[in-house]
Amino acid sequence: MTTQLHKNALQGPLGWGLLVVAMAVLLVSLGYALSQIITNGHTSFNTSSALPWGQPIATYVFFALGSSGLGLIASLPLVFGFKQYYPIAKRCVFLAFALLISGMIVLALELGHVFRMLWVIPLNLQVQSAMFWMGAFYALDLLFLLWKFSKLQGGHWDSKTAKQVGIASFIGVLLASGNLALIFGMMSMRPFWFDPLMPVYFYVTGITTAVAILVLLTYLAYGFSRERMPAALIALSTGSLPKLFAACLGMTLLFITARAITGLYSNNPEINVVWADYLFKSGVYIAALLIGLLLPFIVLLSKLRNKMSIQILAAFLVMIAMFVERLYFVVGGQVVPLFKGTWIPDLISYIPSATEWSLTFIGFALCFVIYLLGEKFLNLGDMPNKMLDHTTARKPIETTA
Amino acid sequence: MAKWGMVIDLDKCTGCQACTTACSMENNTLPGETWQDVLFYNAGEYPSGQMKWLPRPCMQCENPSCVHVCPTRATYKDPDAGGIVFVDWNKCIGCKYCMIACPYGVRFYADEKPLIEPDIRDVFPGENAQLWSPPYQSPDEDWRRGIGIQPKGVVSKCTFCYHKVKNAPEGIADLDEDNPDVKEYVPACVRTCAPKARYFGDLDNPESHVNQLIGDKHGVRLKDHTGNKPQVYYLGAGAGVPAFTPADRENDA
Ligand code: SF4
Ligand code: SF4
Repeated sequence: MTTQLHKNALQGPLGWGLLVVAMAVLLVSLGYALSQIITNGHTSFNTSSALPWGQPIATYVFFALGSSGLGLIASLPLVFGFKQYYPIAKRCVFLAFALLISGMIVLALELGHVFRMLWVIPLNLQVQSAMFWMGAFYALDLLFLLWKFSKLQGGHWDSKTAKQVGIASFIGVLLASGNLALIFGMMSMRPFWFDPLMPVYFYVTGITTAVAILVLLTYLAYGFSRERMPAALIALSTGSLPKLFAACLGMTLLFITARAITGLYSNNPEINVVWADYLFKSGVYIAALLIGLLLPFIVLLSKLRNKMSIQILAAFLVMIAMFVERLYFVVGGQVVPLFKGTWIPDLISYIPSATEWSLTFIGFALCFVIYLLGEKFLNLGDMPNKMLDHTTARKPIETTA
Repeated sequence: MAKWGMVIDLDKCTGCQACTTACSMENNTLPGETWQDVLFYNAGEYPSGQMKWLPRPCMQCENPSCVHVCPTRATYKDPDAGGIVFVDWNKCIGCKYCMIACPYGVRFYADEKPLIEPDIRDVFPGENAQLWSPPYQSPDEDWRRGIGIQPKGVVSKCTFCYHKVKNAPEGIADLDEDNPDVKEYVPACVRTCAPKARYFGDLDNPESHVNQLIGDKHGVRLKDHTGNKPQVYYLGAGAGVPAFTPADRENDA
């Protein structure tokens, strides 16, 4: 029922080229990770009993929340009727799926016994555990995403079931990422994380991550050229999308600032020392804050925000910064040694090992592979016919790839 | 059923680590996998600095946060086993959430970088799904309760030597190593403690020596604000744990 006249750059040779590269990265990192995990087990990680969650967990959090953010953005048109977001809805839903699968695979490689999980969790129903609910809701989320995508793929943008699936999916996303937040936010013995507003923080930062990834990949899909983009998408990318991006960045910065101020003011070393001696002593963290979040925020506040190059740069910086934020967030809750006396006299130092990095690469490469396949075969730029008819500012241009 | 509890008298403890050694012999733990450890703290500065220490097993909390967070019920508190908190190695998926949630830092994921080289796991490679297989092993093995040498990918912790304690006669108030009838049932750390700083008994029995010590000598639980309500009590001075200060800031106070 719908047609998409515009030639998608990733459906041409560029797509194949990128697919080959992404596949190669995926295979190499997967091969390396598996060989390390099979021969050396978790000794190939730099985590320890004193600091059990490292970069693989942070990578999972990055992807899971990015996925949730994308799911929330997709619900703007599909649930709340913000029609100007239709041009990115299908891509959002598909990307949410790609990110979630990638995050789950990284998490699976981190666990001690991944296959056991498939039977012990359903058979034991430990409803007291936030991790149980996170797992249950992300599994549901995945199903709803697939279902929703199949509706869009069938061209059902506004049908009653599509709406219902959309609403269910929206609630599923809120519950899944909210429970992921509670895994950290309910740990009163880890005061750096303990925060009743953690779910809100995760929603906001998840959407921020999502917009960054969406902007980058949408432009990539059209070969970094607005000429190729449908008019409705141009309208969105010079209209409310960059504004949403700026607003989310602003809220992210506000949240981090509030957490930093309360943390620095607190006498409790398990919060104070984390901010003063770990986060704010790290050049990487400070750079992520200033160059990766603050600078894009300021630029996006100005009229420059509608320029494509600015948006791409901002999206790239924000994506990296959000990854850094996840890493420092996850590690920050554990750097103050818990009840180890002078056996561990200082903050616990943690630098991810090669195997842990390979897990991160697996996540990014897998996500990109899935995404490229989606662009290639599933027409992710699709939108309702009437959008193409009514909001087209100029005639669609046939481009050759 | 009893509620097993431990009392540690810090006025008697010399910090000799005999308990730590006995525990690792009894339970075949790896270097660094110290189910029982003596922690040292220093507070203040020269010339009036002081050193404190306290032995630290799993507290077998009455309200154990490790149990609440475990998504698989692998970690569970067994009221029929004196309220001891166990890890079922057949169920644990190695998510390590319990290690995050335990305020006392007494859970171990032994599949980590070796504390000392050579890695003893390479010297005695694992057989029959064990993480490592030393030539001498405690004969007791019960994976449902995390007793024995663990397989890969699971979390391990102190079991209050349940493989010994379970044989104690029903209804007994105290397991005292000086009582020849029960000395075989006393946890290894308690039995080995030379200055007799550790006591083990039934917290539910008002007549038990452990209960009387807690009452008479004002036993305290560590980090009681966490609400975990340990079944391990401390007597004497030194149970206050100094707040964490990074080593390079120790003199800034
Ligand atoms: S001390 Fe830690 S591991 Fe032991 S029961 Fe309490 S919370 Fe669980
Ligand atoms: S590591 Fe094992 S015992 Fe600990 S929370 Fe996870 S499944 Fe439970």
